[in-house]
Amino acid sequence: MRKVGGAHRGVDMWLVQRASAVYMACFIPAFLVLAWGRMPLDYAAWRGLFAPLAMKLAMLLFVFSLLVHAWVGLREIFIDYLHVLVLRLGLYFAFWTMYAACLAWTVDILWGMH
Amino acid sequence: MRMQFNIYRYDPESGKPPCMQAYELDFDPRGRKVLDVLMALKEVDETLAFRRSCREGVCGSDGVNVNGRNVLACITPLEGLRQPITVRPLPRLPVIRDLIVDMSQFFQHYRAVKPYLINLDPEPESERLQSPAERAELDGLWECILCACCTTSCPSFWWNPERFLGPSALMQGYRFIADSRDQAADERLDYLEDPYRLFRCHGIMNCVEYCPKGLNPTAAIGKIKSLLVKRAL
Repeated sequence: MRKVGGAHRGVDMWLVQRASAVYMACFIPAFLVLAWGRMPLDYAAWRGLFAPLAMKLAMLLFVFSLLVHAWVGLREIFIDYLHVLVLRLGLYFAFWTMYAACLAWTVDILWGMH
Repeated sequence: MRMQFNIYRYDPESGKPPCMQAYELDFDPRGRKVLDVLMALKEVDETLAFRRSCREGVCGSDGVNVNGRNVLACITPLEGLRQPITVRPLPRLPVIRDLIVDMSQFFQHYRAVKPYLINLDPEPESERLQSPAERAELDGLWECILCACCTTSCPSFWWNPERFLGPSALMQGYRFIADSRDQAADERLDYLEDPYRLFRCHGIMNCVEYCPKGLNPTAAIGKIKSLLVKRAL
């Protein structure tokens, strides 16, 4: 067991972190420009902004990217500093659950607007 | 000129915990290096232990931490250093005695990247030829003298010294991946594709800051990551 191979996961996570960063970097200015175009942003304007399906999907993808990006970052911190396996696994599951709940909540907000 | 020093002292045989010992010495710093003063201090106190050999920045044996920076004592000028000059062993490696650290872990990582040419073709009559461009690929990589100044300044190495290979070993790994005469690039990349061995590097770039040879391990690590991405896609 002294010469075990690589886990072959590092590059996937690294790529996911960069891809999500690129999407967020593109989405945020575009969203701000769109929101600025609907000033003053009262409730009706805010609803109108999110009415198109494309906007809902773009926002959902943004929240997904944000959560994935945060997840990879947290995973890096856990690997660096948290060397107790049980604790690390426990926190992995806790954050996975929380992030999944955040995503479900986003869907609820975006598609539940009246 | 009266100079003041604070030197890390540890003698495991004495049973005493490590401590910083203050020294004062009449020493002219002009044109002199930290190693010169360490040798002068050893004349005064012969129990002081440190490694040195070539005294011209080639052998890489006198890496120490001076005023918080990892340096080679033999090429670090005394002039301009804030007094008292604090000299400690390289961080995060076990101390054998005073300024001498146990480099076993460092060299274990170096061995792990197989720092030699792997080529299964029959040996040619004279030599394996490279074009000037292929040879130029190795510049900025082969010059590493394995002093460990970069690896021991890397926070990722501090947190995971057993599993993260460190900038020096990774740069040596890339030195052979980039070599046109080597045939084991895939095997080398397989070994490195791991959350610990390579991907603990977060681009902090202390390695670039402290390399006494002016090399850029972060760039070499970036090239390994690019190759892994190219291979995966």
